[in-house]
Amino acid sequence: MHADMTDSSNLTRFPDHAIEQYDGTLMPVRGSITWSRVSMRLSVRPLVAAFTTFCLALAGCTMPPPVNDPDAVAEYNETNDPLEPTNRVFYAVNDALDTVILRPIALGYRAVLPSPVRTGVHNVLNNLGTPVTLANDLMQGNTRRAGDTMSRFLLNTTLGVGGLIDVATERGILDHPADFGMTLAVWGVGDGVFLFLPVLGPTGPRDAAGFSVDSFVLDPWGWVGKGNTVRNLRIARTGLSAVDARVAVLDDFDKVKAQALDPYATIRSLYRQYRTKQIDDARGDVTPQAVKKSP
Amino acid sequence: MLNRRLLLLASVSALLTAGSARADAADTAQALVEKLSRELVGVVNGPGSATDKQAALEKLIDRDVDIPTVARFCLGRFWRTATPDQLKAYGDLFRAVLVKNITSKVGEYQGVTMTVGKAQAREEDVLVGSVVTRPNNAPNRVDWVVSAASGAPRIIDVVAEGTSLRLTQRSDYSAFLVRNSNDVQALIDAMRRQASQPG
Repeated sequence: MHADMTDSSNLTRFPDHAIEQYDGTLMPVRGSITWSRVSMRLSVRPLVAAFTTFCLALAGCTMPPPVNDPDAVAEYNETNDPLEPTNRVFYAVNDALDTVILRPIALGYRAVLPSPVRTGVHNVLNNLGTPVTLANDLMQGNTRRAGDTMSRFLLNTTLGVGGLIDVATERGILDHPADFGMTLAVWGVGDGVFLFLPVLGPTGPRDAAGFSVDSFVLDPWGWVGKGNTVRNLRIARTGLSAVDARVAVLDDFDKVKAQALDPYATIRSLYRQYRTKQIDDARGDVTPQAVKKSP
Repeated sequence: MLNRRLLLLASVSALLTAGSARADAADTAQALVEKLSRELVGVVNGPGSATDKQAALEKLIDRDVDIPTVARFCLGRFWRTATPDQLKAYGDLFRAVLVKNITSKVGEYQGVTMTVGKAQAREEDVLVGSVVTRPNNAPNRVDWVVSAASGAPRIIDVVAEGTSLRLTQRSDYSAFLVRNSNDVQALIDAMRRQASQPG
């Protein structure tokens, strides 16, 4: 506990730098296996070293605060963003590209297509993603969630006309996220340093690696078929997924940019909290339930 | 022997009292959120101009949100380095910006519905779950954190899909301060600009 806890104890029952988890308990700042140990095991260390050198050359590293300011040091460690200057460069680039390309497309998409059509597109894309979700549910050892994913896929593909209508949700079997970054987290891999990557946006070594595994290894639609039609379908799916995902956060993202004094830091915080919640739910094999009205 | 029995009895009754106190706190918190949600939805979907609605929302915020506690939390470690004058200015601006951020988009929430779930007593506060649904949006899980630490039970945090409003706000302020040489005055100036921006 902190020495200064007394003067603010009625307000903060934990030190300023701790992350409060969903259930109010304190979250350890790093996982049991640090990223450096994982990267050693996977012998990608040279790659990480090369990437780090590249980043250092590009924009430099954040210097840790002086050791005589323990609060600032704790905050620095908890934020775990030693590549912040580089990340901010990529954030600025991404943001500029988003402003001129993706956001206008998303706005147009939302303005032109009626809501049921957008929902249909979203449902189809979601349904196409269920094999990856199922694989990760199983690797996380989550039998209840895997059952939900199975039921959703069968119901929505048949009764839901190829995934167009989400009949499973109407029957109370709700969607949940499962990706390989979460699977790695369940296996004990920590968040690692914060990264803001071009295109991908806010992430970390674990989640970026997980994204690659999901996209290029686990996704069965990447295994089958060849030729121009298949390639075009894949491109269409990727493009639509990007627009669909961007539309979902149009208002929220505008709000963050308008209301935050430091949008980059706010997005970093939101991303971390959101991920922590998703991973907690995956650890507990939590199947989302519609909140029942209290009696 | 008698002493031991007395002790046992005392500890059992203490446990029971603590348990029922927590259950009471949970009931109170749930009642608070249910009442607030009815009123919020009523204001947002009700008749009246945007200005009327904003004024009504502001009243609800002042009544049910423990703004000083949230403000203090969001300033984090800088609470100790600020001067009393700065704390006063910060507290006032915090309230103004909070109210503005919540009320400015009241028109966008037309058609909102809210279902309040069961309250869950935690060590020092109560979590009340809810699902907020806006037309053409996926339902959002929103949890309300209610604490009676400052006297009466009031809301000290809102957690949307696992992201805490006050934690996010504190990260924002803290990052801003670190990039402005830990100068609380710079934060106050920035907040003053936010508060005076139109809509």
